[in-house]
Amino acid sequence: MAKRIVSVTSITPTATADTTNLVDSAAAAGYVCVVQPGTTTQRVQILEIYQGGQAGASTPTFMVLSRDSQVGTGSNTRMTGQTDSNLDANTAALAAPVLTGNLFATNKPQRGVNDHLLNLSFNAFGGIVRWVAAPGEEITVYGTAALIGEVSLSAFTGGTTGLMGAHLIYEPY
Amino acid sequence: MKSKRSQEGYLLIDHSNSPGIPDDIAIPSGLPAGIGRGKQELPTFTCSHCQFVLIMNPLRTRERGYCPKCDHYVCDKCNGIRVMTGECRTFSQIVDDKHEEVIKQESLIRLF
Repeated sequence: MAKRIVSVTSITPTATADTTNLVDSAAAAGYVCVVQPGTTTQRVQILEIYQGGQAGASTPTFMVLSRDSQVGTGSNTRMTGQTDSNLDANTAALAAPVLTGNLFATNKPQRGVNDHLLNLSFNAFGGIVRWVAAPGEEITVYGTAALIGEVSLSAFTGGTTGLMGAHLIYEPY
Repeated sequence: MKSKRSQEGYLLIDHSNSPGIPDDIAIPSGLPAGIGRGKQELPTFTCSHCQFVLIMNPLRTRERGYCPKCDHYVCDKCNGIRVMTGECRTFSQIVDDKHEEVIKQESLIRLF
């Protein structure tokens, strides 16, 4: 299909334990994004994640990409500074857009206990983290069911979360 | 012929202009020792059975989990299951099964 990028210019993620509601991203706090397919049969692959520190003091930030044991429901909207756009200018609009916003109206996403996929901890005081999947080795998200139908990029407890920017590149099918 | 190295992802953790993460914080959070200092460029692999992304420790001496049926590296947890049961069930198969289940449910809803 077509690659898309969800980007957050500036956020201080809220450290949250597993199986606990992720805090809605308002006032530049909360979580970076989720990736939830737009239909029960849509498949999405995650290709790349980048995080760049913007903090003014040392802040070890424990970022985790995880499958969610509770998926977000209700209206999905974005915090100021979060965008989702196509990488290629000629990409047609999707009939069923992938949900990538970081505010849910009803159920909030919750990370699964045994479902962390990728640990992207770094120091947000000048640290940079970038992960790129090998072709064919991307992380797959399918449908809208718990543990398979949503992943979230959020901060785990411990450390001191710091101001950071991030992007995530994905491709829906 | 496909090489196993073609399955490797890329992880950059750059703390060359940052105080980084001390080992006493990095290790409990699941990262290898020393990763929080300087610039680290590391290969990763995605376990084909559970899709957990692992950082490949260059100092590892134990045999790495490998499933000959799907010709992929697998994580230690999935390798234990694979050795015990002999079963290879990739995440792609799990997604395919889920897809079939959803399609069947939708066709049943249309019938009634």
